[in-house]
Amino acid sequence: MRPRASHIILVAAVVLVIAILGIHATAPILYSAENISTDAHADPSTIKKRSPGDAAAVIPLMDELLGETGTLALTIKLKDYENAERDLARYTDLSGRFDRLVITLDASDTDIGEFQQKNRANLDSLATLLDDSRRLDDLKRLEIEVRGDEGQHTAIIYEGEALRQKMRQSFSSYQERETAVTRIAGNYNLDTTPYQESIEDFAEVADAADDWRKKVGGNTPPSPLSITLSPTGGSYGDTIRISGRYTGTPPDTPAEVYVDSRLARSPVFDESGHYTCTYRIGRISAGPHIVYATAGPAYSDVRTFTVFPGNTTLTLALAGVNRTTVACTGTLTTGNRSVANAPIALRVDTTMLVTAETDGNGTYEKEITLPAGEHTIRAEFHGAGFPLNLSESETGTFHVPDDLPSPLPLIAGIAALLGTGWYLRRRQETPDEAPPETPPKPPEEEIESPAIDITGLPPRDAATVLFHLLRARLGLSETKTPRDCAKVAHARFFERYERIRYAGEVPTEEELRWMEDIVRGEDAHAA
Amino acid sequence: MQREAWVILIILLLAGAVTYAHITTTTEDYSRHNIGWNGTSNLGLKEVEELPTEGILLIIAPDKPFTSEEAGYLRAFLESGGTLIIADKDGTANPLLEALGSAMRIQPGNLSSLERDHVDPRIFRVHVTGNATIFAGIETLLVNHPAAVRGGEALLETSPLTWDDADGDGRPGDTFGKRVVCAREGNLIVLGDPGLFINAMHNENPEFIGNLQSVLIERTHSRTGTKNPIINTLTWIQETPLAGAALAALAILPVAYHFGRKRE
Repeated sequence: MRPRASHIILVAAVVLVIAILGIHATAPILYSAENISTDAHADPSTIKKRSPGDAAAVIPLMDELLGETGTLALTIKLKDYENAERDLARYTDLSGRFDRLVITLDASDTDIGEFQQKNRANLDSLATLLDDSRRLDDLKRLEIEVRGDEGQHTAIIYEGEALRQKMRQSFSSYQERETAVTRIAGNYNLDTTPYQESIEDFAEVADAADDWRKKVGGNTPPSPLSITLSPTGGSYGDTIRISGRYTGTPPDTPAEVYVDSRLARSPVFDESGHYTCTYRIGRISAGPHIVYATAGPAYSDVRTFTVFPGNTTLTLALAGVNRTTVACTGTLTTGNRSVANAPIALRVDTTMLVTAETDGNGTYEKEITLPAGEHTIRAEFHGAGFPLNLSESETGTFHVPDDLPSPLPLIAGIAALLGTGWYLRRRQETPDEAPPETPPKPPEEEIESPAIDITGLPPRDAATVLFHLLRARLGLSETKTPRDCAKVAHARFFERYERIRYAGEVPTEEELRWMEDIVRGEDAHAA
Repeated sequence: MQREAWVILIILLLAGAVTYAHITTTTEDYSRHNIGWNGTSNLGLKEVEELPTEGILLIIAPDKPFTSEEAGYLRAFLESGGTLIIADKDGTANPLLEALGSAMRIQPGNLSSLERDHVDPRIFRVHVTGNATIFAGIETLLVNHPAAVRGGEALLETSPLTWDDADGDGRPGDTFGKRVVCAREGNLIVLGDPGLFINAMHNENPEFIGNLQSVLIERTHSRTGTKNPIINTLTWIQETPLAGAALAALAILPVAYHFGRKRE
């Protein structure tokens, strides 16, 4: 192969290798496994590992939650309110942990997710029971204190009756969940004894309210404050109209309407003693809810309305903000209504959870910064206290390109390339045809042209004489061979003489004349 | 010229070695000729065609039905005290189990678990819950896309957070529950994960592989063979002395003839 061609191939190969190394210098993934799974199995060494998380904690946590219901209901029944507060705080904490775990493990659609919802409702019921039980004790004490004061006594009886009805409704809801909770607990061999006992204790507390009411207020006249709900059921976004009338002269202060023991509205009485307000179903759980009104000392009867669960639709749109950040936007709707202030979980790559919240229009937006690679993102709505079923968006994908390679390897590569080119060029120039080193030219003019007499000599001897004369004229040592002399000057002369001397060639007359001219210094261009 | 001839010879030898390595390996699942992750080349267990009268016999991922005669032999093997392990996840062995009078059945499916340390929900750990020589000294095993086994006494059980991922989306289904992936009835053991024997799983369950040293593989029905005709021909030659001798003769005769003519 010709040297030039081999050099070109070599340079091309060097360029290629440097380019490949340059590209991968900062992200040295030169190999990725293929064929890592078949229909039958997968290669575990190539499957991404993940932290086992707290999956193992799920069942023990469910067991603890069931146990907490028993403990809390018992302390309420025993009127040990200080410990009941502590138990409730612990139960609330465990429930929060469990809620997060269910979402993290993506188990909302399973029986564990159902258990989570029932547990959340149980927590609400027991928290209300604690409040009601404590209030009932207050009423019992007050009732004794105000005996003889008919007005105050009646007011206490009215409130006691409202409380009794409320506790009865609350117990009814608590008891309704027993079948589902026991079934799910049975799937995991959980001990439901504390939970069963909590139902019994709950019943006892509610019964105690009934007993007290019978004992103290059997002949109490009907409350002057009436209450009517219309309709008595609805879904998220629907409005319940709450109205009533105060028989007789209503108090100067507005009426107070309570939904699930929380003050919801304060409507004013009109001239005829009527009051009206509306309640929009928002972030309350599906199922029955208790409503009553108060006006001064008077308490209305307790009414209930039922909230029906609704299906939801969640959308997700991905848009790149920059190389590594993606903006996730979407809306949460039920029917043609948007769902406001609802928490949205964005699940990235099936494991990481990022939270967002819808605004008043049911729209959410969240920017997420991701590492290089292909990522899947899905938005999820987990109910979170709304009377709405879970929903999730389609899964979107977002690709984050690899980081740009560091300029250092590229610079190093270019430097190596230039260095290689320089070296090869230098090598190419060094061989035989390289110009001889040019020592300082001997001052030819200063040396007098020698006398030349080659007449009658055989041509080869004449050439030898001319060689000696020229070598002397150039001031070169007598030890210098024709090849040594050729490196200094008059290369053509000395090379010709070399062939005459060593190759046995015979110079022509014309050549001898040319050589003689050179010796005389008359053919400067021939050198 | 001499030097060039040597270079060409060496290149040819290298190319021949590479070609031989290529044509004598396969990528088929469970094949003992498969040196990749999904083969059983490193299992190192003796394979038998004739049924022994005792010992532990393993059938890995059977892919062809058992005749009533073969089932009869296996029943006799069990009755004589031998232990039979059937590792299957497709349900191919169910007719054999029925023929052996067993109530155990393999239930093909996509068992998946929340309690796992791999992203793939079908690679997870199961707990040893029963006594069997092959699980001696082991508490948990990593299984690889197993099937559930119904009936019998449980030997390997999943965690309660396991579900059958019917739609294959990798997300938890309606109901979790413990599943059995290996069970026994007397000395008949049914294992729902033949993937335990592939090369890639050896490092995951070294004690289990260590416990298999005295196990024999039934080669007629096990999927440890190959459909590659070249490998099968070479194997046949290796195992048939007459064929080996004939082949050697075919190789030697031309050489001998060549040298004989040269001497003349």
